Amino acid sequence: MFYRVSGQFKTSYESDMALFPIRQDAVLLGVILLAMYVVFPLFASEFTFKALLVPVMIYSLAAMGLNILTGFAGQLSLGTAGFMGVGAYACYKLTTIFPEMNVVVALLLSGCFSAMVGVAFGLPSLRIKGFYLAIATLASQFFLVWLFEKWAWLYNYNASGAIEVRTMDFFGLVVTGPTAAPVTQYYFVLVIVSLITFCMINLTRGRYGRLWKAVRDMDIAAELVGINLMRAKLSAFAVSSYVVGVAGAMLVFFWKGAAEPNLFDIPLSFQVLFIAIIGGLGSILGNFLGAILIVALPVLLNFVPGLIGVEVNSATLEHVNVMVVGALIVGFLIAEPHGLARLWALIREKLIIWPFPH
Amino acid sequence: MDALYLMFVDPFVQMADAPDFFLQVLWEGLVSGVLYALIALGFVLIFKSSRIFNFAQGIMVVFAALTLVGLYEMGLPAWVSVGVTLLVMYGLAMCVERVVLRPLVGQPDIILFMASIGVTMFLIGFGEFVFGGENKVMITEALGIPTGAIELNPFDGFVLIEEKDLTAVIMAVLLVLGLLLFLNKTAMGRAIRALGDDPQAALSVGISLSQIWVLVWFIAGVIALATGIVWGARAGVSFALEVIAYKALPVLMLGGLESVAGAIIGGIAIGLLEKIFEIYWGQPLLGGNTETWFAFILALVVLLFRPQGLFGERIIERV
Amino acid sequence: MGLKGILKLAAATSLVCSLGVVAASAASLYVPNLTYRTGPFAATGIPIMNGQRDYVEMINARDGGVGGIELEFDECETGYNTNKGVECYEKTKGNAIVTQPWSTGITLQVLPRTNVDRIPILAPGYGFSPMSEGNTFAWAFNPPVSYWDGAYMILEYISGGDMSSLKGKEIALLHLDHPFGKEPIPLFEKMAAAHGFKFLKIPVGLKEMQNQSAQWLQIRRERPDHVIMWGWGAMNAGALTEAVKTRFPLDKMIGVWWSGSDDDLLPLGGKAKGYKSISWNAPGDYAVMKDIRKHVVDQGNSLLKSSADMDKVFYQRGVVISAILVEGIRTAQAKYGKANIGPEELRWGLENLDITAERLKEMGMDGMFAPLKTSCDNHTGHAGAWMLEWDGERFVQVSDLLKPNREVIKPLEAEKAAEYARNNAPWPGRDGLACN
Repeated sequence: MFYRVSGQFKTSYESDMALFPIRQDAVLLGVILLAMYVVFPLFASEFTFKALLVPVMIYSLAAMGLNILTGFAGQLSLGTAGFMGVGAYACYKLTTIFPEMNVVVALLLSGCFSAMVGVAFGLPSLRIKGFYLAIATLASQFFLVWLFEKWAWLYNYNASGAIEVRTMDFFGLVVTGPTAAPVTQYYFVLVIVSLITFCMINLTRGRYGRLWKAVRDMDIAAELVGINLMRAKLSAFAVSSYVVGVAGAMLVFFWKGAAEPNLFDIPLSFQVLFIAIIGGLGSILGNFLGAILIVALPVLLNFVPGLIGVEVNSATLEHVNVMVVGALIVGFLIAEPHGLARLWALIREKLIIWPFPH
Repeated sequence: MDALYLMFVDPFVQMADAPDFFLQVLWEGLVSGVLYALIALGFVLIFKSSRIFNFAQGIMVVFAALTLVGLYEMGLPAWVSVGVTLLVMYGLAMCVERVVLRPLVGQPDIILFMASIGVTMFLIGFGEFVFGGENKVMITEALGIPTGAIELNPFDGFVLIEEKDLTAVIMAVLLVLGLLLFLNKTAMGRAIRALGDDPQAALSVGISLSQIWVLVWFIAGVIALATGIVWGARAGVSFALEVIAYKALPVLMLGGLESVAGAIIGGIAIGLLEKIFEIYWGQPLLGGNTETWFAFILALVVLLFRPQGLFGERIIERV
Repeated sequence: MGLKGILKLAAATSLVCSLGVVAASAASLYVPNLTYRTGPFAATGIPIMNGQRDYVEMINARDGGVGGIELEFDECETGYNTNKGVECYEKTKGNAIVTQPWSTGITLQVLPRTNVDRIPILAPGYGFSPMSEGNTFAWAFNPPVSYWDGAYMILEYISGGDMSSLKGKEIALLHLDHPFGKEPIPLFEKMAAAHGFKFLKIPVGLKEMQNQSAQWLQIRRERPDHVIMWGWGAMNAGALTEAVKTRFPLDKMIGVWWSGSDDDLLPLGGKAKGYKSISWNAPGDYAVMKDIRKHVVDQGNSLLKSSADMDKVFYQRGVVISAILVEGIRTAQAKYGKANIGPEELRWGLENLDITAERLKEMGMDGMFAPLKTSCDNHTGHAGAWMLEWDGERFVQVSDLLKPNREVIKPLEAEKAAEYARNNAPWPGRDGLACN
C-alpha cells in the first residue's frame, strides 16, 4: 500500500537503472534527510549530539570505506583503525604545519595520505588472499599504531604523546575545539558524510564498482575476462583508505578533540568491521544501519536499568553490556547473515506486495 | 656509516660478547614461542575441521584459566577444579556448536569469523561478570608445578631457567605428542582429519559433523586450559592476556592455517626471532616494543614468497 | 526479530533524545566518578574506587552529607577506555559538580571541554603535571602531588638527599607506553642533564604488560643502578614477577604511587621484600577507617569483598581522594554560605583548599596524608609523600615526609603549560575567573 509500485513505468534503460527506480524510495530518503538536517538539530540535546549522532555518522563513514574494500572488492581487512589513524595524524600535522589551511582542505588532503599508505599495504593483496590477507592487514594495524607511538615528530614532540585539536574556524564559524557548538560540528560532519556517501553510491554503481564486484566474485575469472587485477585491487585499497582516513580525521577533529595512539588499536578495527558486516557487506545503506546498532545501542543500553528502575553497579552493567553486544552480533549473523541492509530489502519487498502476499 | 655498523655488525658483536645473555634471550624466545604455538594449534584444529577462523581461541585461554582459578577460590581442591574446568570447556563446546555453529552451517567464511568475534565478546563479558575483573594469580603451587629456577653457568655467565617455564615446554611437547597420536591412531582423530580433507566425502561415509565439532572445540578448550595454566603462571590471569591471541595470528600465516606442524614450527620460529630482533635491533635502534608488529611483518614477507604459508596446503584455483 | 528489533531501537532512541541526560534529584550534590572496574587496569582501579565510594557513603551515613546536603555518588564505567570515558563525561556532566576522569588519556580529552562546560576536574595524583599551573588550567586540580613531584621525590630518596651523588649512575624508567607513563619523562630528562646521571627509558607497550621478558632482558643487559617504575594495572604484577625472576635487587626498584598496590605484591609475598613505592597516603589504622567500618562496611553497604581489604594502601588512597573532594565542597559551602553549591563554587573551593594538620586530626586522618594548601597558581598543593617498603606482607612507611623541590619543577610546569596553551590556541586560561 505504502510502497505501491503500480503506475510507475520504466520506459528506458536509464530509468530502469536510475538511483531510485521507485518513487517511494526517493520520498523515504527525503524524509530521512529532512529528519537529519532539520528535525534532529531542533530537538537533540548536547549528549545526543556527542554520544549518538556524531559518532554514528563518523563510524558509518569509516565502515563505508571498509565496505568498499571488503564488501565491494572482496578484500577482507582488519587494519581499518590504522588507516583511520593515518588520516587523523596527517590532518593534525597539516593543520599544525600550515595553521592557516582551511580545515576542509586539510581534511580532504589527509585522506590522500591514508590512501597512499593503504595502497602500500594493499600491494600484498596481489599475491595473498582470504584469511592470509586479513592477517596481513593486521601487520599494518600493529605497525602503524607502533609508529604513532614512537615517531615523536607525528605528535609534535608532545610530552603526553597525544595529539590535541586546537580551535579552528571555517569562514568564521568555530568548528573544532572545545568551544565549537555541538550542533555546528554535527552539521559539518553531516554535510561531509552526505557528500562522500553520494560520491560512493555513484562510484560503486559505475565502472569501478563493477570492476570491484567482478574481482570480489572471483578474481581469477575477472582476470581472464581482461580486468587488470592490480588496478582493480589497488584502486579499491586507495578509495577505501581515503574514506577511512577522512573518517579517522573527523573522529579526532570533530568528535574527540584529542587522541592517543592506542585509540587506533585493534578494537576500533573490529568495531568498524562489525558495523560493515552487521550492516551488510556490499551495501552503502548498511553502514548506517550497522553504525546505529553497534555504536548507539551500547550507549542506549546503559540507560536501560535506569529506565526500568533497577540499580546496577556500573561494572556489572558494563559486563552485561559487552555480553549483550556479543550475543546480539551472533544473533544477527544467524538471523540475517547478509546484514541489516538485506533485512531492509526484504521488508521493502514485503511492503511492496502488502497487503496481498502471494 | 655508524647506522650501518649498528645495524649489521654491532648486534653480532654483542651476541658474541655475552653468549650467556644470548642463550637467555634464546630461552625466553623459545618459551614464548611454545606458548604461541599452543594457541595457534587450537586455531589450526578448528580451522582444519570446520573452516572457521576461530578468533575466540585467545579468549578461551583466559576463560579457562579464570574458571580454574575461580573454582579453586570457591574452595574446590586444585585437581577437582581442573576436572570441573574441563567439564565447563566441554559445555562451552556444546553451546558453541548448538547455538552458533549449527545455525551458521554453510555461511561464508567471513560470517563465521565474525561470529567467533561475537563469541569472544560474549565470553569477555561473561567471564568478568562471573569471576570479576581483578587480576588473579594462577594456582601454580596447588597444581604441583615447581616454581624454583635452575641456574646454569655457561661461558662464565649465567642463564636462568624457571622451572615453570620448563614445565610449560614439557607440557606442550606432551600435549602435541598426544594430539598427534589422537589424530593419527584413533577413529575419532581420523574422522577429524577426514572432515578437514573433504567434508562432503566425510559426511557421506557417516561421520557426524556436529559430534566432531563439539569434540574439536573441546580439544581446543583443553589446549586453551593448558596454555592458560602455563601462561597464567608466568604473568597472572586477567583479560589483559587476550592480547597474546593476536600473536598466534602471524604464526598461522607463517605456518599455514591447516598445518599442525606449521603451527608448532612457526610458533617457535616467531618466538625466537621476535625476541632476538627486539633485543639486538629493536631496543637499540627503534625505541623498543617491536614485538607488537615484528611477527606480522615477518609473516607478511614470507607470505609474499609463499602465499599459503610455509606448510599450508597448496592453493589451487579454478574458475 | 528483525523489524521488531529495529522498532524497539527506534523507540529507545527517541526516548533518549527526549530524556537527554538522566535527571538527578535536586536535594543532593551529584558527584560522579568515571570508574574502571573492568578491563586490564581493573586490578588497580577496584580498590581505589571502593575507597572513594565508601568514604562518601560514610559521610552521608555519619553526618547526613556535607553541610546538611547528601552527596549522590554515582559511577560510570569506562574500562580505562578513552572513548567510554568521554561518553561518561558527556553523560554525567549535566548535573555534576565535579568530574573525576581517572585516566590520563581521558583527562587530556576532557580538559579542554571543562573550560567550556565549567566543571572542575579532580584528578588526584594523576593527569597532567602542568595542571598545577592554575592560571592556565583554571578548572583542573591534581592534589596532593603531581607526577613530576613524584619523580623528583623518588630521585631525592635514591640520592639520599644529595642529588649530586647520582652523577655517573644509570637510572632506568620502566614505564607504560601511554600518556600516563610518558608524563614523568621531561622531568627525568631535565634532572639527568642537571645532575649527570644516565637516564634510560624502557617502554612497556599496552599489549606487553604481562609479558615483559624483553624489557627485563634489556635491564639485565644494561644493569642500571636503579629502576623506577611508572606502571599501572596488570603491568605492575608483570614487572615485579620478572624482576624477581631476573634477580634484579628489589631494593633498587621504586615504583610510583600507582605501582604500590598490595594486590600486586601479595602473590609474590616474601620474594618481593624490599620493593619500594612512593605514596602520598600512609597506610594505617586511622579514626576515619573505624567510622567507615562502622557506618558502611559493617552495614553491608560496601562493595568490598572482605573487610580486611580496608587496610590496603589503595583502598585508603581512595578514601583520601574522596576526603579531598569533600573538603573542597566544605570550603566552597563556607565561602558561599549555602549547602547546595554548583560546579563553579566547587572550583573555588578546590582552589582554596587549606587542609592543615589540625583539620586532618578533626577528620580522623592525622598523618594519613600531608597537610595541603592550594591557591590560584598552585592547583596541586605539592604536599609531599612518603616512601613505603614491602616487608613481605604489607607496605610499611620507611621515610619521613619527602617534599618536591618546587624551584626545579615550577619553571618546567610553566613552560609546558604555556606550550599546551599555545598548541590549543585560543586557550581561555583563567578566563576572568577572580583569584581570591
